Amino acid sequence: MKVISQFLRFDGGDIINEKLLEVKDVCKYFEVKRGYKEPQYVKAVNHVSFEINKGETLGLVGESGCGKSSLGRTLLRIYEPTSGSIKYRGDEITHLSKHRLLPYRKKIQMIFQDPYASLNARLTVGEIIAEPMVIHKMYNPKHRIERVQELLKTVGLKPDHIRRYPHEFSGGQRQRIGIARTLALDPEFIVCDEPISALDVSIQAQVINLLEKIQAERGISYLFIAHDLGMVKHISHRIGVMYLGHIVEMGPSNEIYRAPYHPYTKALLSAEPIPDPKSARTKKRILLEGEIPSPINPPKGCPFVTRCPYAMEDCQVAMPNSYKFGDRLVACFLYSPRRLRQRENFSIEPLLNKKQED
Amino acid sequence: MSLLEINNLTTQFKTNQGTVSALRDVSYQVEAGEVLGIVGESGSGKSVGMLTLMGLLASNGRVTSGTIKFDGEDISPSNLDSKKKRNDYENKMRALRGNKMSMIFQDPMTFLNPVLKIGIQMTEGILAHTKCTKAEARKRAVELMKQVGIPSPKNRFEQYPFEFSGGMRQRIIIAIALACNPKLIIADEPTTALDVTVQAQILELIKKITKDTGTAVIMITHDLGVVATLCDRIAIMYGGKIVEEGTTDEIFYKSKHPYTEGLLKSINNSEKDTSEPLIPIPGTPPDLLNLPKGCAFMARCPYTMKICKAQQPVTTKYSKTHSCSCWLYCMDESYITVS
Ligand SMILES: Nc1ncnc2c1ncn2[C@@H]1O[C@H](COP(=O)(O)OP(=O)(O)OP(=O)(O)O)[C@@H](O)[C@H]1O
Ligand SMILES: Nc1ncnc2c1ncn2[C@@H]1O[C@H](COP(=O)(O)OP(=O)(O)OP(=O)(O)O)[C@@H](O)[C@H]1O
Ligand code: SF4
Ligand code: SF4
Ligand SMILES: [Mg+2]
Ligand SMILES: [Mg+2]
Repeated sequence: MKVISQFLRFDGGDIINEKLLEVKDVCKYFEVKRGYKEPQYVKAVNHVSFEINKGETLGLVGESGCGKSSLGRTLLRIYEPTSGSIKYRGDEITHLSKHRLLPYRKKIQMIFQDPYASLNARLTVGEIIAEPMVIHKMYNPKHRIERVQELLKTVGLKPDHIRRYPHEFSGGQRQRIGIARTLALDPEFIVCDEPISALDVSIQAQVINLLEKIQAERGISYLFIAHDLGMVKHISHRIGVMYLGHIVEMGPSNEIYRAPYHPYTKALLSAEPIPDPKSARTKKRILLEGEIPSPINPPKGCPFVTRCPYAMEDCQVAMPNSYKFGDRLVACFLYSPRRLRQRENFSIEPLLNKKQED
Repeated sequence: MSLLEINNLTTQFKTNQGTVSALRDVSYQVEAGEVLGIVGESGSGKSVGMLTLMGLLASNGRVTSGTIKFDGEDISPSNLDSKKKRNDYENKMRALRGNKMSMIFQDPMTFLNPVLKIGIQMTEGILAHTKCTKAEARKRAVELMKQVGIPSPKNRFEQYPFEFSGGMRQRIIIAIALACNPKLIIADEPTTALDVTVQAQILELIKKITKDTGTAVIMITHDLGVVATLCDRIAIMYGGKIVEEGTTDEIFYKSKHPYTEGLLKSINNSEKDTSEPLIPIPGTPPDLLNLPKGCAFMARCPYTMKICKAQQPVTTKYSKTHSCSCWLYCMDESYITVS
């Protein structure tokens, strides 16, 4: 396999069956001490496993606070994983020292959720974008300036913005500065943490097309975190759905959108606001009721049990396994072999409609 | 009388490269109980418009003209030429902000104090603007946290902002904005950091508040899905100006302006096939330091005509609620003043 992959050339947007990142059983717990005798833990990321191939985009969606950013940061070792293993191109990087991690830092980059906090206010835009190249001693100063100007153009800004300061730009413009900075090092893998939520739709489309173009040209892989389901579907080959620190469903993006399996995925997809006033007025949403669980004190069984319309007795006591169907994984007892034998097929739609009618 | 009347508002920033015209001659009204959506490209002046309204402009900003009337009171930020006028204005705004008029910011961390516990930040505003005891303020704060969907609010009370996820911080800010039952809520991208299930809850919550209390909302957003779901009327901004305004249906189904047209075309939702490429509006936003003499959309517009280069387009009305500034729709030559 290794030998063959050397001969596989990357051309135009195909995924190459070569694992770039392998994540196994990764956990990230944060300690909260305040006022309690025993330290308590926020289980932000809880036994998460997945792989990302070269040239592939894995989309990550889920409720706010479910641990998406924490997962992204743990992969980059911005946060130290509590347990589990992270492999990059087959190399174990979970416990590498800061110094030995350096070459990987260059290859693995992050575009941040917050365009305000992530830019140094005292530097000019040119200095901000050039900074990573300076740190990693890439190019000579003249070449660097050319590259900064080129990058500014790539992200839809003007080359002469180079001498301006971040506060002179709007939120969306700052996010594009952040993207230009990330691209400066020619990374192989980028964690995009809501890179487009601060941008308006017409620019979002530009940035998504830009990210796709870069991927097609250079075979970069992305972990793409966003709330905009339409955009996640557009850019991702596969999607992982997270809930309370767990990945509850994973599979090819078109299939998940066409036929979501997990009850949470169903609710999530039904909540997407439709950019059309007439259908927005008539659209039926699965409004989730019940207590939103706290990651400090998660439910004993299935993480979704407090709000799931299908919750059964098993769900209160035990954590469902991940059941595999072809390329798809779903962690829900409704898809256990026993339950599936009772139902004709995968569909749980009838139950759902009945719920909405009462 | 409208709750809010804004006329000919113009805001500029002095920078070492020259004057940035961030807001140019903007006028609109907001009625009690209505939700007005303001949509526009990044950098089009949406946030500056709201900061001007709230009297929170950065020190290099100046309002060169325009009037603002809110709830019968004149709060125009222009012509503050004497110290007394400036002081009066500041005092008026301080009493209004966080009380009758509250704002939900685009970025939660510019608003929350990182070293203060969430609970203290929440009760602060309640204590400042209403007569109540600490215990009552605390009760109200916990109630608000529940309303916006924060799990175990009592425990969260003692935590610091960094221990909250991005979306949870935003929900706290929404809760703070609701604390004093305002007449107008200005929401600058309040749900971009939220996932769609929570977003749907928050939009329902905003709808309910406007219906129950008659609170008006100005909703700044990029998300046309949010606009379609929530807003009664929409104003489209481009290059510091409102280029089209109408009811939600007029904008979505009868849009006139080429920029609006481009915006609607670039919409992507999950019902679309992934292999279809997205259609962005080509080109870059106008340079506000160096605006063209004519229409600001000129460089990116597929319909540009000679007149567009020479003169600012005039505003044409199509219905009581629908208007658009573009030469394409102004076939009346008497408006043309250049030759
Ligand atoms: N540095 C930290 N210390 C303590 N708790 C934290 C820290 N960072 C995150 N958390 C907690 O971990 C959980 C997951 O947070 P995270 O920021 O990963 O969520 P998210 O999925 O990115 O949410 P959002 O969509 O709102 O950005 C939350 O409960 C949050 O309060
Ligand atoms: N303090 C300032 N000094 C100089 N220019 C400024 C200042 N604040 C804003 N601007 C400029 O004013 C214009 C409008 O900015 P504004 O923040 O209102 O954009 P916006 O429409 O809210 O965009 P976004 O959707 O990205 O938030 C931008 O071009 C910005 O660069
Ligand atoms: S395991 Fe049970 S509670 Fe969890 S999602 Fe499935 S049906 Fe719902
Ligand atoms: S005025 Fe001219 S350039 Fe401007 S939007 Fe209309 S047609 Fe296009
Ligand atoms: Mg996050
Ligand atoms: Mg803004």
